[in-house]
Amino acid sequence: MNLRRILAVSYKEWREIVRDRLFLSLAFVVPSALMLIFGYGLTLDVEHIPFAVVDHDKSAASRDYLHRYIDSRYFDYRGELASEREIEPLLADSRIRLAIVIPPRFGERLAQGRAVAVQTLIDGTFPFRTSSSQGYVVAINAAYNTEQLSRYIAARLGVPPATAQAMAQPVTVEMRYMFNQAIRSTWSIASVLVMFVLMITPPFLTALGVVREKENGSIYNIYASTVTRGEFLIGKLTPYVGISLLNFLILWLFATRLFGAPFKGDPLFFALASTVFVVCTTGIGLLVSLLVRTQVAAMMLTVVVTIVPSVLYSGLLVPIASMDPMGQFEAHLFPAMYYADIVLGSFLKGVGLDVLWGKVLALAIYAFVLWTASFLLFNKRPKA
Amino acid sequence: MMTPNERMTSRLGLWLWRFWAMTLKELIQLGRDGLLVFAIAYLFLFDTYMAGNVGMNLNNAVVVVHDADQSAASRELIYRFQPPYFKQGGEVADVRTGQRLLDTGGALVVLDIPPRFEHDLLTGRPTAVQVQVDAANTVLGFLAASYSSQIIGQYGFDQALARLGQSASALENVPIVQSEHRVWYNPNQKDAWFMPLSELLVVITIMSIMLPAAAAVREKERGTIEQLLVTPLSSLQILLPKVVAMTLVILLGTAASLGLVLHGAFDFPMKGSLTLFFTVTALYAFTTAGLGLYIATIARNLAQAALLAILVLMPMIFLSGAWTPPEAMPAGLRQAMYLSPLYHFIEMGYGILLKGAGLEVLWDSLLGLTLLGAGIFGFGVHRFRRQFG
Amino acid sequence: MGKTALVSDAAPVVRVEGLRKRYRKQTAVDGVSLAVQPGEIYGLIGPDGAGKSSLMKAVAGVLAFEGGRIEVFDQRIDSEAAAEKVKGRIGFMPQGLGLNLYPELSVEENIDFFAELREVPQAMLATRKARLLAMTRLDRFRDRPMKQLSGGMKQKLGLVCTLIHEPELIVLDEPTTGVDPVSRRDFWAILTQLLRERGVTALVSTAYLDEAERFARLALLHGGRVLAEGPPQAILNAAPGTLVELAAPAQMEALERLKPHFPDIEAVGGRIRVFVPDGAHAAALERVHALLDGLEVHETSASPPTLEDAFIILLRREQAVEEEQRTVARRTDDPPPADGVAIEARGLTRDFDHFRAVDQVSFSVRQGEIFGLLGANGAGKTTVIKMLTGILPPTGGAGAVAGADMRHAGWAIKERIGYVSQAFSLYQDMTVRENLRLFARIYGVTRQHLDARIRRVVELTGIGKVCDELVARLPMGIRQRLALACALVHGPRVLFLDEPTSGVDPIGRRRFWEILVHLARVDGVAILLTTHYMSEAEHCDRLALMHAGQLIADDTPLALKDALQREAGQVLDIAAAPVLPALQALEAAGMGQPALFGRRLHVLAQDVDATRARIRTLLEGKGVTVHDITLKMPSLEDVFVHRILARERAEAGR
Repeated sequence: MNLRRILAVSYKEWREIVRDRLFLSLAFVVPSALMLIFGYGLTLDVEHIPFAVVDHDKSAASRDYLHRYIDSRYFDYRGELASEREIEPLLADSRIRLAIVIPPRFGERLAQGRAVAVQTLIDGTFPFRTSSSQGYVVAINAAYNTEQLSRYIAARLGVPPATAQAMAQPVTVEMRYMFNQAIRSTWSIASVLVMFVLMITPPFLTALGVVREKENGSIYNIYASTVTRGEFLIGKLTPYVGISLLNFLILWLFATRLFGAPFKGDPLFFALASTVFVVCTTGIGLLVSLLVRTQVAAMMLTVVVTIVPSVLYSGLLVPIASMDPMGQFEAHLFPAMYYADIVLGSFLKGVGLDVLWGKVLALAIYAFVLWTASFLLFNKRPKA
Repeated sequence: MMTPNERMTSRLGLWLWRFWAMTLKELIQLGRDGLLVFAIAYLFLFDTYMAGNVGMNLNNAVVVVHDADQSAASRELIYRFQPPYFKQGGEVADVRTGQRLLDTGGALVVLDIPPRFEHDLLTGRPTAVQVQVDAANTVLGFLAASYSSQIIGQYGFDQALARLGQSASALENVPIVQSEHRVWYNPNQKDAWFMPLSELLVVITIMSIMLPAAAAVREKERGTIEQLLVTPLSSLQILLPKVVAMTLVILLGTAASLGLVLHGAFDFPMKGSLTLFFTVTALYAFTTAGLGLYIATIARNLAQAALLAILVLMPMIFLSGAWTPPEAMPAGLRQAMYLSPLYHFIEMGYGILLKGAGLEVLWDSLLGLTLLGAGIFGFGVHRFRRQFG
Repeated sequence: MGKTALVSDAAPVVRVEGLRKRYRKQTAVDGVSLAVQPGEIYGLIGPDGAGKSSLMKAVAGVLAFEGGRIEVFDQRIDSEAAAEKVKGRIGFMPQGLGLNLYPELSVEENIDFFAELREVPQAMLATRKARLLAMTRLDRFRDRPMKQLSGGMKQKLGLVCTLIHEPELIVLDEPTTGVDPVSRRDFWAILTQLLRERGVTALVSTAYLDEAERFARLALLHGGRVLAEGPPQAILNAAPGTLVELAAPAQMEALERLKPHFPDIEAVGGRIRVFVPDGAHAAALERVHALLDGLEVHETSASPPTLEDAFIILLRREQAVEEEQRTVARRTDDPPPADGVAIEARGLTRDFDHFRAVDQVSFSVRQGEIFGLLGANGAGKTTVIKMLTGILPPTGGAGAVAGADMRHAGWAIKERIGYVSQAFSLYQDMTVRENLRLFARIYGVTRQHLDARIRRVVELTGIGKVCDELVARLPMGIRQRLALACALVHGPRVLFLDEPTSGVDPIGRRRFWEILVHLARVDGVAILLTTHYMSEAEHCDRLALMHAGQLIADDTPLALKDALQREAGQVLDIAAAPVLPALQALEAAGMGQPALFGRRLHVLAQDVDATRARIRTLLEGKGVTVHDITLKMPSLEDVFVHRILARERAEAGR
């Protein structure tokens, strides 16, 4: 390794980047813009679910029951329908996601001490939203039933309301959300976004690098000179690693300052682990660049290996733990997952190397394999 | 020399003839790039297939228990944490060990049952079960908490009824509301119906932005655009064939994906009109291709084009309504979302294929997409004409 | 002469034995053996696809090969590691105008990058850089981004970058292709100086055979094999004969009569140039006259053949030049079908951001006329063409093409013209036929005429054999013929050709011109073209010379040469040995623009006899043996260089 030659390649690359003003600005604008847009716009809290009701009873009891939905912040009341037939078009058009049908004699039956079946129709298009909605419905019903039950107990056994209440609900749940007390999706999203943006942008910065030199012929300067393969590859990528690390710092600041995500871990450890990840993702771009012959192919291949896995397999939107075994296996093939654990561990859990060493090791192995493959693929005396 | 009668007499005929020549050219070029064809096939077929293995439901979340009571009652409660949502992770001796497992990701839920749990239940004294949930990932945390509450709540409810001397079968005689859920369109809430289609729509978006952008930038970079500019082709005749060719490829890929992956592998119910779906897809591909062309007029090289494409693409994908429902977004972004063609496309895609909706329901989304498409494409051509006119 | 003996005894710098290289199915190099001695300029010539580039890349250690062996500096090049050992002593410049440079970087940044990559010590870098920049006259443009340099300047910068680490062996792949004559002279002057001062060894390929006379030795490659090797004279000796030139008013008739007997014949402007395989001039003249009996013939002359003639003869001997059944000389005594004005430019002006690229240019071209636009790289030729073809709107002035006004009827113009652009701009990922079909359809050729029309241009340009090949796999020369075919497929009345023969080998160029002459004379097509080959400029009916955006001359080739003789004098051709000190002495004495041509020197002189005497005394005083000083007809290159340099001097003096 000759430092001077590495520096020469890096400096040249850097000058070229700086001269390409639009590219340079985009290299910084794209990560920040993605972070800002997603940070503000991407929320997994299922709230304001639009719903409608069909009330065949129209009694005080049915109104009381429905008001538990209408007053909930999870639901948005869109009005009352005359019959079940009106539900379908509204669901089909996505104007409502849920409908509640109160049967006739709802209040009467309850007053008689008999159970009543209430129908809830839910749009099943988006499974996560469906199960969340179901959860809310169950919770509202449970609360309503507990009240009904304690009133019933009080009336039947003649005990005071407090006792009846205790009898109706013998076990309470003390729910404690660890690491994210308010279960704010912004926190976890903002921190995982650091991973996501660092997964997507660096490969796109580097993927066209080598193939562009091959397409226009300047690669022959490298072939013909005494600079070694390793020196060239390292020199070529150093500016991009630098840009990506700077972006990493910016993203970190956004996550903590702007979105208020707590950072409980060891900054030094996090910075070092992130460097390994950036080396890894720039390496992905490098490998793509060496595999293809045209820039267009490089671009599409980068889409295949970065955007798609980082949407599906990084844990940003879809928790790895909730995938089936095949999905989990696929997720383990991409580096995003390991780094997502490091990010969440450092931000919200406050754990460090002692817990996360395995993930860092996985990333390091990943990076090593990528760079070794690139090194072996790059030949200064090619066959064509 | 060419005599006038040798030329096309009809202007329309000539226009179509040129248009056909250019479209054919784009298709030939696309077919020649083996890796590109591979990438397209991969995205349409393999990628949508893989997406079927991914879901957002709680799946075998590990529950560890700190059982300080060790009674029949506590064991019955613990027993209720069952697959598919939960998986027993064993007992721990103290709460600290449980927290440690949460730290390392060894468990998602720690159930802490207090001493004298059974005794309190039998004596009618209120008791509390503590549940600690790893909420670092909010989706998982939320679902785990929600299901845990349901299980424990149901357990308490059963206990209360038992004490009243009522068995579960005699619920009819208690004044409660029995909620009957009916999930429409995807009754079993199969993620394998949702994710592959969502992924397919995303792939269509990626293709329809990137392919025309790349094709146009390549002509700029290689200088072939110059040869076209001295021919009697109008800007529209140069650009439109790119879009039409890519749209054809996208429709082909979509058909293959629908037939082989969604229908073939996942038994996706195709409720609505396929003709309508393909019409909408073509319209959508056209709209987003306009964005691609716009990018091509800004970018001088492919590296710039790629970054610009990401800048447009990623927000479109995430703010499309598939991940974040519009009703949960901040007002400003919600407005922006209505401007995103993908939002309309996803609404219509699911509407047609899953819900069986027809034109009478979707006409407004279709109108929105058409207007957006005409606007965006027109703007792309206008920019191109200004640049090279 | 002790030094010479030492040189030839020394081990060769490059030794190639039985080299073989294949790309998939195609054989590029098929058993080449040659040796390059230290301190010589060794030339590689040959048609497109002969294997020159592959050979040079293999020598430079940037291309793996299958068979044979290569030794450079006694190091066998058989692996990447082995090649690395000698790369420090080699400088390699790949083909293509500045393609290996970095467009966004400035001149100085480009040089610095190469220097750093080669670990040139800082102290040495400054002096070397200053010297090389001064030599190439690039020092004024140190801070200019490379992409804003003209083609000639790019190529000189490429040379500077290749030389910055002072390699002992330089490998240059077509370094002068696409470079204007003035820059080309600079280029050779630099190379000559290096040779003289440092004794570097050079392996150079070229498509300009007039340059090949500068080589000490050369190899003629064809089909991956060496056809002939030796000093230029040896190549000439291998194809003995006489070049007969004459003018015949009934040109087509004369061509038709001579062609069956002397296949190597061409029409150059109004004259006919025919190669007679007979060493004796008198006998050769006699044979030609006998064939042309009854035709009016004048201005007959006989001279020794040039390297280009020898090149073609040698290749023909190998049946490398396919015999054409084309009816190039279809007999027409009728005047060209139309003789109206085809192209007219009136005061055309174009401003870019900071400078005026084209300044008040006016000229006109008639139907059936071949009009040559000459000028250094960056003089504004391409801009003129772009304005006339409607790609670029003019800032001022007006023009008409094919009877349509440039300003209002751009559409009509586009349908009536054909255009071959400077940079090859057809689709490389499509086959030849697919490209032809595309352009035929774009120009509205109907289905029923499509095949016939394509067949016609394919025959005309002789690309039938490669119809189903991908364009990317074709050599440059064939690509250019395809570009011409595409431009002709709709039968245009006017053709614009921007450096159509750049990088095309002599055989390809000769065919290209046969086609052009045919189009102009028989079909009456007006042709406007630019070229850097001055031998080609001779074919033009009229020439216009551009400099810094302005038209500085517009006349027939003959009139331009006459004017040069009146203004600057005659060209003296000096054979002297050793030649390099002779050049130095003439330069030092300030004798009219001396230039090295192989082992000969050219000097301009007003008073021929006095100058001849002065040169003799001057050189013999320096211990140089003067064999012979003869008078030569000035070439168009002499005209070009003189005009441009005179203009530059006038501007510098202002």
